[in-house]
Amino acid sequence: MSHWDVLLQQVINGVSLGAMYALLALGFTMVYGIIELINFAHFNVFMVGSFIAMWTLEAMGFAGQSHVLYGLPLIGILLAAFAVTMLGSGILGVAIERLALRPLRGVPGTAPMITTIGMSYILYNIVLLGAGADSKNYTNPMPKTAWEFGGVTLRLREVLLWTVALLLMLALNYFVRRTKMGKAMQAMAQDQEAARMVGIDVDRVVIITFFLGSALAGAAGLIFGLYYNYTSYLIGYTAGLRAFTAAVLGGIGNIPGAMLGGIMIGLIESLGGQYIAVRWTDIIIFSLLVLVLVFRPTGLLGRAAPTKS
Amino acid sequence: MRPFQLTRRALNAAAIAVAAIAAAGGFGAAFADQKVVKIGITLPFTGADAEDANLIKNGAMIAIDEANAQGGIAGYKIVPVVYDDGTATAGQYDPAQSATNTKKLISDPLVVANVGPQMSGSGKAMSPILSEAEMATITPSSTNPDITDPRMAAQFRPKGKAVYFRTVTTDAYQGPNMANYYKVKLNVKKVYILDDSGAYGVGLANAFEAQAKKIGLEVLGHDQLDPKEADYTTALTKIKALNPDALYYGGVAQAGVKLAKQAAETIPNMIKGGGDGVAGGSFLKGGGFPAIEGWYGTNAGPHLTESPAAAGFVKTFQEKYKSTPSDYAITAYDGAKVILAAVAEVAKSGKEMNRANVREAIQNSHVETLQGTVAFDQNGDILDRTVSVFQYRHDDKYPVDDITHQLKYLEAAPQS
Repeated sequence: MSHWDVLLQQVINGVSLGAMYALLALGFTMVYGIIELINFAHFNVFMVGSFIAMWTLEAMGFAGQSHVLYGLPLIGILLAAFAVTMLGSGILGVAIERLALRPLRGVPGTAPMITTIGMSYILYNIVLLGAGADSKNYTNPMPKTAWEFGGVTLRLREVLLWTVALLLMLALNYFVRRTKMGKAMQAMAQDQEAARMVGIDVDRVVIITFFLGSALAGAAGLIFGLYYNYTSYLIGYTAGLRAFTAAVLGGIGNIPGAMLGGIMIGLIESLGGQYIAVRWTDIIIFSLLVLVLVFRPTGLLGRAAPTKS
Repeated sequence: MRPFQLTRRALNAAAIAVAAIAAAGGFGAAFADQKVVKIGITLPFTGADAEDANLIKNGAMIAIDEANAQGGIAGYKIVPVVYDDGTATAGQYDPAQSATNTKKLISDPLVVANVGPQMSGSGKAMSPILSEAEMATITPSSTNPDITDPRMAAQFRPKGKAVYFRTVTTDAYQGPNMANYYKVKLNVKKVYILDDSGAYGVGLANAFEAQAKKIGLEVLGHDQLDPKEADYTTALTKIKALNPDALYYGGVAQAGVKLAKQAAETIPNMIKGGGDGVAGGSFLKGGGFPAIEGWYGTNAGPHLTESPAAAGFVKTFQEKYKSTPSDYAITAYDGAKVILAAVAEVAKSGKEMNRANVREAIQNSHVETLQGTVAFDQNGDILDRTVSVFQYRHDDKYPVDDITHQLKYLEAAPQS
């Protein structure tokens, strides 16, 4: 592999990682944008999502990586798996909001945030007790198709990851900017009181926001499983923390910022690993986060909505 | 009023004392027909290492059950005290939990010795605590040499006497012997080294690296993986670009299975191997074929499960636990045997049955076991220094999780 091949390969790796972080970061940033809450349960909604997807694929008769599909059947199976997973994770997100967060709405201070940490641990331990602690060999019908360009390898699963992430982000962008509900979300992000005054149903907007953010996390969970061929109850922590960093880096509450932040963190991780050392990855990422927060406290793109009074 | 108060307090104290004596008496009465000694078993049953930990526990349990079936050791009933030192937070062995468990064991005077830990990281946390109490532990699998190194005695056995005994050899032989194997048997010229940032992994990888440099292997790099991280493609792409003949991984299954899966796609044709952290059920089950096909692994001891001496044990194990034992299940069985022999020795000598005397007996033991005669040097290390090499080769005649048949024994690695 020449020098440029290595660089290009690491960019491919980094963008793949980044796309996954971006999907996760969207959930953090959307919820924060609407109700100014950091939702730490999001870490493990992602993890539960990857299990829901694995069980869905198992229910459809797949096991391990032995049964491989191509073409239309593959697309059909994946669409079905994505649909079930996103629906399941979305409902989980809504349930968390309804049971644990709505009773605390309007409570000042950090109580709601601490509650999300509690919810996160509950999910974590439920999966630990229910599914066991070993890492699971993921059910994966994707073929190992890959294309070689010189020394650079592009794999089908990377293409799938990018495509799904891009489609979901475009759909979200359309939803937020063009639909009535999306506009209601924007209105709430700008001023909750005023939004209520013009007749926006606040509870409904919050539910939709949790549903969408959690569904994206579920999709990220399925992509994670297909990409790495494994899942475990532990996966939420590192990925969730990186995604949270991405959301802050891009400007928490800012949807394009979360996408940008995700891709940036992914690239820093892969290029830092290549040119410095893998063991320094976390130090590089979190130092950068500190620098951004010191010099641009609102993140790279800042808050999309004006600051609330 | 003062004398009255005193009397009342004294009465209260007396009442409590009477109750306590009654309770102790009642407790004692339950065991009146038989004296009891307890043996701790401390292993990570939660997390990535659980698969191997259970095999090790079952190996030790067979030794204890056999002893009890014959009426105990010199009239003592043997009671195992099993603690889990894996935690959900760590997702694998957790040294802090190992330390807590050790303190719990020490607080019970009936516990005379312990079997475990599985992992060196736990051992480093346990050894100083054991030293204070002069309680011996016999590890069937932890191989980090620091713990028994006399130069580090101030840290790991501040009271001086060896308390950390092993029925396997250390990474001071496991890593270097595998470096010899890479060079002599696999014709490796250039190697890249990874570790999982754990006590065991770093030590093993460093021992491998030192020997590799000594015998003229070119070490292209040595990097460290975060076991909680999901993505190792960055490290693997870097390795692919450097194009070594072989990769050596020092670490346990948590990072190992992810590494194996991603390496199967990034560097499918490179020679890949590791230590005893990859030669076990956790790696087999979590990694799975085809990802782990061709991986080399070692055991820090002779290969036992297929030896004629162990045939009876293997049969008992399979009947009892419906699974196939690993070599470290046998070293655990042997370790428990050594403890039981020490208990018998103390009973025979007429000395008091306490942990200091049991430790003394373990130090001086020459016990016939399934792996031959077990004897220790003054630091607690076993005298036998064999390291066995294995390779994963999928055999579809057997279940995919059958470690004995999916992990083929090749030969003992060349000693330096």
